[in-house]
Amino acid sequence: MRWIVRRAIIAFLTVFTAMTLSFFVIKAMPGDPIDALAQAFVRQYYMSYEEAYRLALAAAPFVPKGPVWKQYVEYMTKFFRGDLGVSISFSTGKKVAEILADAIPWTVLVVATSLVISFLMGIVIGMVMAYKHGSKLDSSLIVAFSILRSIPEYIVAILLLWILAFQMGLFPTGGRYDYWALELLKKGDVLAFLGNVLWHAALPILTWIITHISGWALAMRGSTIGVLGEDFITYAKVRGLPSRRIVIKYVGKNAILPLFTSFMLSLGFMFGGSIFIEFIFSYQGVGWVLYQSITQRDWYLMLGAFNIIIIAVVLGALLADMLYGFLDPRIRRGGTT
Amino acid sequence: MDPILEVRNLHVVYRSPRGYVRAVDGVSMTVLDGEVLGIVGESGSGKTTLALTILRILPSNAKIVSGSILFRGSDLVSMDENALRDYRWKRISMVPQAALNALNPTMKILDHVLETAQAHGIRDRKYVIERISELLQMLRLEPERVLRSYPHELSGGMKQRVLIALALFLDPELIILDEPTTALDVLTQRFILDLLKDLHRKTGKTMIFITHDIAIIADVADRVGVMYAGKMVEIGDVYTIFRDPKHPYTKALIKSIPSLVGSVEDMKPIPGFPPDLINPPPGCRFHPRCPYAMDVCRSREPPAVELRPGHVVWCWLYAKR
Repeated sequence: MRWIVRRAIIAFLTVFTAMTLSFFVIKAMPGDPIDALAQAFVRQYYMSYEEAYRLALAAAPFVPKGPVWKQYVEYMTKFFRGDLGVSISFSTGKKVAEILADAIPWTVLVVATSLVISFLMGIVIGMVMAYKHGSKLDSSLIVAFSILRSIPEYIVAILLLWILAFQMGLFPTGGRYDYWALELLKKGDVLAFLGNVLWHAALPILTWIITHISGWALAMRGSTIGVLGEDFITYAKVRGLPSRRIVIKYVGKNAILPLFTSFMLSLGFMFGGSIFIEFIFSYQGVGWVLYQSITQRDWYLMLGAFNIIIIAVVLGALLADMLYGFLDPRIRRGGTT
Repeated sequence: MDPILEVRNLHVVYRSPRGYVRAVDGVSMTVLDGEVLGIVGESGSGKTTLALTILRILPSNAKIVSGSILFRGSDLVSMDENALRDYRWKRISMVPQAALNALNPTMKILDHVLETAQAHGIRDRKYVIERISELLQMLRLEPERVLRSYPHELSGGMKQRVLIALALFLDPELIILDEPTTALDVLTQRFILDLLKDLHRKTGKTMIFITHDIAIIADVADRVGVMYAGKMVEIGDVYTIFRDPKHPYTKALIKSIPSLVGSVEDMKPIPGFPPDLINPPPGCRFHPRCPYAMDVCRSREPPAVELRPGHVVWCWLYAKR
């Protein structure tokens, strides 16, 4: 029990430090929300900068004033009371919590699906590679995965968008769902709506899987090869255990252990989504909101999004630490827990 | 006594980037029903490979080139995986070195026992627990505590006894013990050896006891085979081999045992190193280190010479020419 309390305190301090850092880094960014808004007005309406600035000030009345440290204290006290502030320029006056609450489920849908699929596929492929290591299949997969790993996700996203959406018209080019599908939902046709949602999420999910599967597969391959060399594998064979059991209980379980922590951390990062993928597919999740808030210098919205990610990652790590003991008895803590 | 296992002219190689490693190179031996056969040799002499070959669990880069292993008359070398499943553990089991983590670190001891039983068609959980508890008690372990433990919660000596109990579980006809006392402290080593001797006295199980420590062999074995560089060089009953060793390597090996009474000067290390098994020396493998080497030793492999029934030495010194 004492161990959990200690780990929780450390986690809290980590969150606090990371939040503080991101607050001051964001404040130190060049430009401010009013300036960004004024620039937009200048581009849009061809007005003079002074005029645009006056207009922007009037349009965005929620810009924090006073010394930065006072803003910091105010922000933090409000944050821990559950108040994330209001958006300055992205959606002026709207609560940050509301904007994020609208975006998070969509990002989680895309990332959780892709994470689970790429993790499971990566593990199976990695194990097959390890069992056949040195074979033609193994070496060609290594080359393929190494290439896949070095292609950035925005390239994959643009390629998929161009080929599958524009050229072949198999998938929509963007958005979270179609409005006609929403109408169907209102009429009670839930399945049709869900189908539409999945159809829109397909390309972002595919992009994510393509760019992430190689990491899992190669890690699992390495880990499995290590386990296959262990004596307990040989000894399990001598005892006449069926190979199914050896593959799952002996090789699989022991080889997944080192991947478990990175999986839990990925679960935390899940809430951030991917700025590139969501931007390219105009998928309005957390990554997309983050992109908009950065270009518009919407400080509180940016902070809100970053802080959610920070908390999720730290919680993921904490959870990983706590659950690891269940998977690996060797690091289980004795007695008091 | 009848032979339970007969190894005939066995050749096993490992593929390596530099070429084939001839780990077991023409070994022949017979294990008699109810005896303890010790196999002694330094590391790399092929004794563990021999054990793995008998159980047919060689790693994928190893290959049986030729030879046969007859277990009660049926050849294990030509047997397919399905038929082997009936032999492994049920009829021939093995005790590995406990320090080589032979147990799955994520499973309790009881689960190891249960899965082993299940793999051989025993599903009665109560019977399994009773039987293993009996064995563990015989090996002076507390069954309740041990069965609930994970491997890392046990000491080396306890783990070794668990492995012995597991090997005895299905009451096999032959047990191969591969360095069962290596990596244990001297007192635990003594304790395990006494348990094994006691076990043999009570059950009369046939055992192959593999070790690099010739002093242990004298204590536990009825007969002993001495291996050097993938070859058997001398085999005979323990009394004869220790009192009157014939092969120069066996002589040197026995000389290298530190004695409590003699002075340290009487201990003689063997000059030189074991040969490279990818390109072994021609003729007798031991000739580069042998003080009695003759011309013929350098060119032709020594024949098996039976000095008296059961005592065979592979050495030109005793060949009638």
